[in-house]
Amino acid sequence: MWAAAVFSDIMDEQGTKHRILMVSDFFFPNFGGVESHIYYLSQCLLKLGHKVVVMTHAYGNRSGVRYVTNGLKVYYVPWRPFLMQNTLPTLFLTFPIVRTIIVREKIYVVHGHQAFSTLCHEALMHARTMGYKVVFTDHSLYGFADAGSIHMNKVLQFTLADIDQAICVSHTSKENTVLRSGISPEKVFMVPNAVDTAMFTPSPKRLSCDEIVIVVISRLVYRKGADLLVEVIPEVCRLFPKVRFIVGGDGPKRVRLEEMREKFSLQDRVEMLGAVPHAQVRSVLISGHIFLNSSLTEAFCIAILEAASCGLLTVSTRVGGVPEVLPDDMIVLAEPAPGDMVRAAKKAIDMLPGIDPQIMHLRISYLRILGSKTVLPSYDHQLPTMAPFRIHTAFVLIHIQGIPQHFLWKLPVSEL
Amino acid sequence: MGQQEHGISDGLYTYKHHHDGGADIHVIFVKKSKFRVLLSYIGTMFLLVTVCCALLSKDSLCLGSLWSISFASIIAKCLRCGPVKKESLVIMPTFGVQLEQHFWSGRVHRKFVPIGKILKPVLNEHVTPVSCYWSLALLLREEYELMLVFKNLNPPVKMLVPIWKALCAFVDSNTLSDSALPQST
Repeated sequence: MWAAAVFSDIMDEQGTKHRILMVSDFFFPNFGGVESHIYYLSQCLLKLGHKVVVMTHAYGNRSGVRYVTNGLKVYYVPWRPFLMQNTLPTLFLTFPIVRTIIVREKIYVVHGHQAFSTLCHEALMHARTMGYKVVFTDHSLYGFADAGSIHMNKVLQFTLADIDQAICVSHTSKENTVLRSGISPEKVFMVPNAVDTAMFTPSPKRLSCDEIVIVVISRLVYRKGADLLVEVIPEVCRLFPKVRFIVGGDGPKRVRLEEMREKFSLQDRVEMLGAVPHAQVRSVLISGHIFLNSSLTEAFCIAILEAASCGLLTVSTRVGGVPEVLPDDMIVLAEPAPGDMVRAAKKAIDMLPGIDPQIMHLRISYLRILGSKTVLPSYDHQLPTMAPFRIHTAFVLIHIQGIPQHFLWKLPVSEL
Repeated sequence: MGQQEHGISDGLYTYKHHHDGGADIHVIFVKKSKFRVLLSYIGTMFLLVTVCCALLSKDSLCLGSLWSISFASIIAKCLRCGPVKKESLVIMPTFGVQLEQHFWSGRVHRKFVPIGKILKPVLNEHVTPVSCYWSLALLLREEYELMLVFKNLNPPVKMLVPIWKALCAFVDSNTLSDSALPQST
């Protein structure tokens, strides 16, 4: 019996429907992993019959109350972001609006997302002050040595001191969060992110291997290893004449990639697409054979999951939670150094003839949790990859409700 | 001739609804208690004293005195009684609606909106940096902005809902009567 089915049965028997407030500085129309996670999690909760409200800050003219798919209510509170989409931290000035929203929507559980979100920290603090149940999900890894991380870790220790539960997206992320915040490990649960495999399907026609296309889709920033790409791409192009690159995404490091193209005369072998809307990501992915991820730090990396769902073999840096995402035959890992990345690219090119995109897609859709690999459990034939969201939610709600622990031991999950 | 009125009351506002000579009248009163009047006088006195102390003191105006005057202004504004005594909405069948504001000084401000200009009445959720509240507004034809029915008062949604329903019924009945008219050839 799958975990979520059990939890769903338990909750149905009790008939308790919860009212949940998701809080984060990061939500649509801004696009990213955290935003998608909040949206899909909210949709799954709505499907289960719970009420979900999202609270974020205003984006440009988008201010006030909006209703999105399936009646998901979003409060775009008119607090302007001051740095990297984060609301100005005022400690107490957000209390009136947080309290007003919680009271008028009759919220029971407040779920904050992302350690870097100031609105999340303030909302969690105010909610806990008022005695509401509070859950926090951490989506990223952070350091311990630089000034920004030291300050954020101090804030995290303060915020997470009294929360009910925390969720991390990988074992590495859990270890990182526990060490940074000092929270008890028993309070932290690991639930991996999921991908909607119905959206990310491989091309019906298998691509020819006469020309090998390597796809890179990421924000072109330091953190995502754009500087590594500048070193790797020319070397791979030199060693493998039949390889070409498609680079999607935008950011401050795009200039360096453009300069690299000019310097090595790779205009016909490196195609720069610029920012790719999420709806078009699949069409870019299915035009390639290999997906290259050069991130310097990742808690989970949903991008490689999307690429694997589209049938691409992945080459990635061995950082953070990336080794936990895919089985060894779907990913080639390398150290975040140009030489090792080039070796991994060579290995991936050699593996390509044995890769069937359709089989890879099916495996992603129906993978189980095995050993230390946290891949996606699936139980619902209609929404196989939404299972982690339901488990995510179920863990949160059930532990808050205080359902006896013995139910959890009957379930075939690797870690609770 | 007036008909029996019925209403809803909460801490600050009272809603009353009655019919008079064919018109449907919805009124929201502001309760003015002696305690609130006393608080408004205290706030005003506090502001006056702060300003006088700042101006008459031997020291020149500094940041501290400016801050104290600003703080006293905020306190006085929060404690003051609003100038509006009641706001009403008069629905006149086949003509339109009239929005009225009655002030404590006796002044009355009226605005008539013909029925043809009203597209739809809406209950709108306003979100400010510190609060969130409901308001009743009119969507007008060929106008970009909404027209608030109650400009100065913030009555609770339980008082706005019956007014909104009455407005919807009024607008819908006018739409139906327009569509029932024979088409000219």
